[in-house]
Amino acid sequence: MRPQPLGTSRVTRTPYLLVAPLTVVLIVFFGIPLVLVVVVSFFDLDKFDIIPTFVLTNYAEVFGSSLTYALYAKTITYALIVWAITLVIGFTVSYFLVFHVRSVLVQMALFLLCTVPFWTSNVIRMISWIPFLGRHGLFNQSLIAVGITDHPLEFLLFSNFSVVIAYVHLFSLFMIVPIFNSMARIDRAVIEAAVDGGASRARVITEIVIPLSKTGIALGSIFVIALVMGDFFVVKIMSGGQSSSVVAAMSNEIAILQYPPAAANAVCLLIIVMLMVAAIMRLVDVRRELSG
Amino acid sequence: MAASGHIELRSVTKRFDQTLAVDDISLTIPYGSYCCLLGPSGCGKTTILRMIAGHETPTAGDIRIGGESVVGLPPVRRGTAMMFQNYALFPHLTVLDNVAFNLKVRGVGKAERHRRAREVLAQVQLDQFADRMPAQLSGGQQQRVALSRALITEPRVLLLDEPLSALDEFLRLQMRGELRRIQRELGITFVHVTHTQLEAIAVADAVVVMEEGRIEQAASAHEIYTLPATAYVARFMGGQNVLAGTVIAVNGGAVTLVDGTGARFATPVTSTAPAKGQEIFCCIRRDRIKVEKLRAPLSSVGEATNVLAGTVHAIEYQGSYVKVTIDVPGREQFVGNLPDHAFLTAPLDIGDAVVARWATEDVHLLTGDSTRTATGVRPLPLEAQRDGVRSR
Amino acid sequence: MTARSSNGRPWTFYALAAFFTLFVLFLYGPMSAIFILSFQGPTGGLTFPMNGVSLHWFKALVVQQRSGDFVGSFSRSIVLAIIVLAITVVISIMAGLAFRYRFRGATAVFYMAIASLIMPGLLLGLGVGLMFQFAHVSPAWFSSALGAQLTWTLPFGLLIMFAVFSRFNRAYEEAARDLGASPWQTLRLVVLPILLPGIIGVALFGFTLSYDEFPRTLIPIGSRNTLPLEIWAMTTDVTSPALYALGTLTTAVSFAVIAVALTSIAVIQRRRARRQRDRTPGPLGDA
Repeated sequence: MRPQPLGTSRVTRTPYLLVAPLTVVLIVFFGIPLVLVVVVSFFDLDKFDIIPTFVLTNYAEVFGSSLTYALYAKTITYALIVWAITLVIGFTVSYFLVFHVRSVLVQMALFLLCTVPFWTSNVIRMISWIPFLGRHGLFNQSLIAVGITDHPLEFLLFSNFSVVIAYVHLFSLFMIVPIFNSMARIDRAVIEAAVDGGASRARVITEIVIPLSKTGIALGSIFVIALVMGDFFVVKIMSGGQSSSVVAAMSNEIAILQYPPAAANAVCLLIIVMLMVAAIMRLVDVRRELSG
Repeated sequence: MAASGHIELRSVTKRFDQTLAVDDISLTIPYGSYCCLLGPSGCGKTTILRMIAGHETPTAGDIRIGGESVVGLPPVRRGTAMMFQNYALFPHLTVLDNVAFNLKVRGVGKAERHRRAREVLAQVQLDQFADRMPAQLSGGQQQRVALSRALITEPRVLLLDEPLSALDEFLRLQMRGELRRIQRELGITFVHVTHTQLEAIAVADAVVVMEEGRIEQAASAHEIYTLPATAYVARFMGGQNVLAGTVIAVNGGAVTLVDGTGARFATPVTSTAPAKGQEIFCCIRRDRIKVEKLRAPLSSVGEATNVLAGTVHAIEYQGSYVKVTIDVPGREQFVGNLPDHAFLTAPLDIGDAVVARWATEDVHLLTGDSTRTATGVRPLPLEAQRDGVRSR
Repeated sequence: MTARSSNGRPWTFYALAAFFTLFVLFLYGPMSAIFILSFQGPTGGLTFPMNGVSLHWFKALVVQQRSGDFVGSFSRSIVLAIIVLAITVVISIMAGLAFRYRFRGATAVFYMAIASLIMPGLLLGLGVGLMFQFAHVSPAWFSSALGAQLTWTLPFGLLIMFAVFSRFNRAYEEAARDLGASPWQTLRLVVLPILLPGIIGVALFGFTLSYDEFPRTLIPIGSRNTLPLEIWAMTTDVTSPALYALGTLTTAVSFAVIAVALTSIAVIQRRRARRQRDRTPGPLGDA
């Protein structure tokens, strides 16, 4: 619960001075860039020169192209699949850590164990799957050694499968941390009361644990979905160039300096992501959780 | 300066947003006295303490210490020091550094402030713990560190915010005596906030009973307990039963009153006697009541004065006395504290029909404003309200 | 209740523990493959089998060749990460202190920070790049890329400070004030030291998030790369296990930083932690 705010009895300039640096940095490096992207999305393009004017051609291209819809369909599908898998993993791992690990020290240690990879390079973690899943990779070799199959599984790498695996590998942490946080705050006495009242374990989970971890689940979902929707490098590398995503297509346009169309794409993506996030926030009030 | 720690509150009011925490309080606390602010949660006692300390500012009114107004002054300039409820010992500093904090803040050099801090710790026998961290100390030890930390500032007033509530019962009783002893030694004013009645009367010279932002009574511990001013104080302190009724006769030094159920009581009066027909409140101490099994028929009780008949509702053994709670139809529960040997010679059971008697000279007239409803009073059934007479 | 094994654990414990173990293997497994492959012999290829064991590919990194400029990008990444760490810590602490008050615009700033977190990195990088282009200022790793990275680290720092402050007991501040400390002294001597573990956490996030940052840095980077960008350039043109060696090295640096941060936090917490319940009576006879 947030403690009683300071300075409510007198007007004071202190908070404004203290929050100024943050506000300035965010406005300069987030606010203005965002506005610029929107503005540029209305600019015209002549070969590689941008013409500052106001046209809707970029948006027309975005909405008129069937590629756009195909890309969105693909990216949203990835997002949903990854969301579902990370949700299961996040919930299960958190549940294990919170309710089955008895020692707080061990719980912390295991939690850190899961979290440490977050603090290492995403790119490296992603490409580390390549030698692992490849035709001559570790996984196939183990399968063959154990005898499950006698020739390497091709679909493991440079396919939808590898893209999803990479996403799950990189982003499941974003589910674990908020859900763990929410679960750890559940008052044990509530659970004991339920068990005392005769509830089975499954009942306790559905009636108590899940509702009380709602905010954590919502927060994790927001992170995972935003990250998958905004990704461009995982899909490029892990699909071996066969697949693309919305932002990957954008990065191609940026590479050839086609800023206005890229910006228009960007604005559309932002709106869609905002809608998805807003939908989640509609269902669950996340604000309370975030503000401590 | 002998009067330097004398505290005066003049018409102090404190409002938080919509809530009125302290309502126009005026109070004088003499220098060198041990004063307890006593009352339930939310009565305003802690707010008053914090206003004296300087951690809250009054919405209206003045606070003077040693004759000078301190409103608007920071705590350190008031000559006050506060001991916080859970001690608030700085977890990142050793015991020694905790105690020396005020000196460090004032710029005293390291060697000097460590020396003085050790001296103060030695006075409470904690000098060998000087290099420990607060978390390594027990509750009682932490409290003594908190005390030392406050006393090193050489305050003229020490403010204690529920200093004993974090301790277990055994320690509480021990530390009570310690606080009293230290106050006597130092000779400064102590203002101690608590919600425990017996604690207040054990340590304090002056007890201020508060409720809902107002002072119900401010007097010596003895007066509060034996001569409460209002029904609230009488009930809150727990040693009394409250009787209410309308005056039907005035005879010299006593008046007779009758309550809604027809029971008659008599109470002595000293100064101006209440008039006939006036509604008054009085109280009788629980340990001045004789309770015995009812032998005669109930009707014979009716016309007698200072007698109540009822059924035993609960019996509680308290070591040197037995607390007998009696259900009396038409009024709140009546409690008698019987000496244990008396109870053992004539034991009672739950459900027994009993009669309680007491002497007129043990009754005390409540002269303050008792018309406000106190908490925990059982409402009277409607048939007991006759002729507009409402008993409380 | 379901049947329990002899030490009181239900079968679900073992099932979940197995799941957890698999997950941990999933997290660390592939990294270990890279780690092993980085010691590939000089004639070895990108995947198994191992062709001898050597430090050849590590040496290859240091020599500036067509693979890329690793020493330069590595030092740039470290320097940038330290700068980001410092800025993030200072700004997050200040903002955390600010949010303890109720002030106008607080919600707006908060939502802006969260939005900055959720916004796809590449798009933000695009915006920053455009901003510098329109201002006719050349983007550089210490200006445009720095700013872009701050939009990723500051929200995390802010959230951590929120969590830290909400658990902070105001009584410490009042006690300090009561004992005569000025607001600045209270901050310096009491608040910040008590919050030190949280501040170390913010520093950790600031460093590692910057050191590994890729999407936001990609466009506004300017002419000289940071390490993640060098790595990225290599992945599109992977020809040798030098990439794996690089991966191992950079992960080792990350682990070292993490270890330092976590150990300091652990040491501080231990000193201040509540001792277990073994009461030895003090001289007054109290426990």
